[in-house]
Amino acid sequence: MNLSRRSLLAGLPAAPALFAQTTTIYDLLLKSGQVLDPKNGRAGRLDIGIAGERIARVAARIPAASARLVVDAADYYVTPGLIDLHAHIDAQAEGSSLQPDHHCLPNGVTTVVDAGSANPANFEAYRRQTIARSKTRVLAWLRVTGDDTAPAAEVAKKHPGLIVGLRSDGPRVAGLPVMAERAGGLRSGDVLTGAYPSGGDGQARAARKAGALLDTASFWFRVAAPAIREGLLPDTVSTNLHKGSILLERANMMTALSKLLNLGMTVEQLIERVTVAPARVIRHPELGHLGEGAPADIALLELQKGKFGFLDAGHARLDADRRLRCVLTIRAGRVVWDSEGLSLTDWTNAGPYSNFK
Amino acid sequence: MPRLILTLLLLCAAAVAQPVAQTYDLLLAGGHVIDPANRINSRHDVAIAAGRIARVAPSIPRDQARQVVDVSDLYVTPGLIDLHAHVYGYSGALLPDDTHLPAGTTTVVDAGGAGHRSFDDLRARIIDKSRTRVLVWLNIVGRGMLGGQVENNVEDMDPAATAAKIQQHPDLIMGIKTAHFSRPGWASIDRAVEAGRLAGVPVIVDNNIQTVMQRSTREKLLDRLRPGDLHTHAYNDRQIELLNRFSGDVQEYARQARARGVLFDLGHGGGSFLWPVATRAMAQGFPPDTISTDLHASSIMIPQSDMPNCISKLVNLGMPLDDAIARSTSAPARAIRRFPDLGTLGESRAADVAVLALREGAFAFKDAWGKKFLGSRKVECLLTVRDGRIVFDADGRSRPEWSTAGNYEVLP
Repeated sequence: MNLSRRSLLAGLPAAPALFAQTTTIYDLLLKSGQVLDPKNGRAGRLDIGIAGERIARVAARIPAASARLVVDAADYYVTPGLIDLHAHIDAQAEGSSLQPDHHCLPNGVTTVVDAGSANPANFEAYRRQTIARSKTRVLAWLRVTGDDTAPAAEVAKKHPGLIVGLRSDGPRVAGLPVMAERAGGLRSGDVLTGAYPSGGDGQARAARKAGALLDTASFWFRVAAPAIREGLLPDTVSTNLHKGSILLERANMMTALSKLLNLGMTVEQLIERVTVAPARVIRHPELGHLGEGAPADIALLELQKGKFGFLDAGHARLDADRRLRCVLTIRAGRVVWDSEGLSLTDWTNAGPYSNFK
Repeated sequence: MPRLILTLLLLCAAAVAQPVAQTYDLLLAGGHVIDPANRINSRHDVAIAAGRIARVAPSIPRDQARQVVDVSDLYVTPGLIDLHAHVYGYSGALLPDDTHLPAGTTTVVDAGGAGHRSFDDLRARIIDKSRTRVLVWLNIVGRGMLGGQVENNVEDMDPAATAAKIQQHPDLIMGIKTAHFSRPGWASIDRAVEAGRLAGVPVIVDNNIQTVMQRSTREKLLDRLRPGDLHTHAYNDRQIELLNRFSGDVQEYARQARARGVLFDLGHGGGSFLWPVATRAMAQGFPPDTISTDLHASSIMIPQSDMPNCISKLVNLGMPLDDAIARSTSAPARAIRRFPDLGTLGESRAADVAVLALREGAFAFKDAWGKKFLGSRKVECLLTVRDGRIVFDADGRSRPEWSTAGNYEVLP
């Protein structure tokens, strides 16, 4: 069963098991990485074979000869492509939003959920101009203001896979979760974002009591540090990426994770909160894991030791001795970011350049 | 008696010159300053007051500054000047602040996104809204860099209107860009040069030279361009224009062009930095005069072809770091005729500063065609000052540690 499914995914006719070892059936093989796949309960040294746009096989040992391109992942964590549940994204960088690809993909983020650029009136344009034109998978919390929720309900119904819920301070649409910065009115399945704001963690405690999830977005160390110490951990980790946060706060995903790592959370806890947990919130069960058949959205992360510092939303520093860095990102089976050249040939071995005779 | 008076006078002078506490807003202390224009390449402190460089000296007392940032073990250079970037108009344009400030680039020159018809829009949308200093090469095409049909429309290449716009904004428009012209003949280059002559500014020309276009690089470099004009995408491989196809030698006409004052700009971009060209040209002593990125949406994913990355590549090919900094600061400032206002840490100049780390190790660098080069050194930007304000601080070294900062909201 496994083999025929794999071959199907590879877009090849089903082959007898005998040939599976010698035929090239994977476009890309990630070899010997430290796999973290909390949804499927996998953690350990595993190989991942990718065929086309999907994960074809995850196993202890997949022969290198079965893949067209092999990436040695032994020094890295291999995680599902990360999901950023709260960022401000616009392909034209309108307002305070930023363009997605060069902020998301180099940080391992393959799915980003915009937190309020799109509203019922502009969603069609947003879909054409931002969602359709980005390599990063862009989804949206639809911003709703005022009490007339009919237009939002209509747009959400038309694009169920793209609109994950509402960015709303009150109005609701049946069946859609809400992301808000105040706990009042939040219920199970909703998300309180900005769980550790300068005003303290009162909203977070109220939201958790109501069964809502806690999302970090931007945070203050003086609030987050004691809260985390007392066990008030976030359920999801997001960036709150926008023009005002990108420079000093460096609101990108690797920085967000590194801050929490140095505040005492573990790599395993963190990866769960940027993969399977947000996938559940946005009701995209196909995302956020490395199961066979899942979209091949994958990140390779390096845990670096040294002397680092990070600034919070209030621009105060956290002294740190570890950080996470994304070295390679795969989106829909293609390497879209590769800071260490792991997937590349050295130019001196590249033979004649295509134009260089 | 006269001696006594003199002594008293000296004492008074000394008293006046006594360090007055907090003369400076910011002191970058203990760094290795590379300021090629002022021939500084050693440990110096840099003091900033009111948005300007106030003093650069081997040792400036720390108590004279309101804020001291320790940058020892790091290099302190003038803010980098990216002579060729895309922040408007072009389909892959990137916003300047989030892209360039973290790279230590405090000045970008948009390379032809706008023409005389669209400059006002560029100004309103980008220049006026950016912390990065955004300057402009005005496209000879009135509507700017909007793709084939628009850019091939010779009717919209109006030297007089282009020159008039430049003369209205001499502080913002540095010269003229022509690019992507794919019709036969010299119309776009000649009209750009004509506009340059009318306005008294240089032109920067891409490498879209193909024999089918009835243009040759030799003629462009030796006959069409003037001294001070720029040829960009110097290490491209279209037509093997810099190197002889058979011998790999730098073309004689390139050396002649350099001798007559035509400048060669790097313009890395998505197709114009190739190891076979760059290694051979560097080995034969033909570095680019100015280092620039041509940074746009797809080239930034060539990790991460910003100014520190371009500088790193050339340093790994043998260019001394101080030379690479000169070609990223004072040389581009001269090319756009803004030297010494820009591109130096001279006293009273705008306090645009980059703080860079030079890492040792094994690093992969990628060229425009996806091939890797393993280098041993890598330049990284850790802190950027623009007009005296710290706008980027990778390790937060300029800010207080959170547990000592009290009940802070947003620290200044």
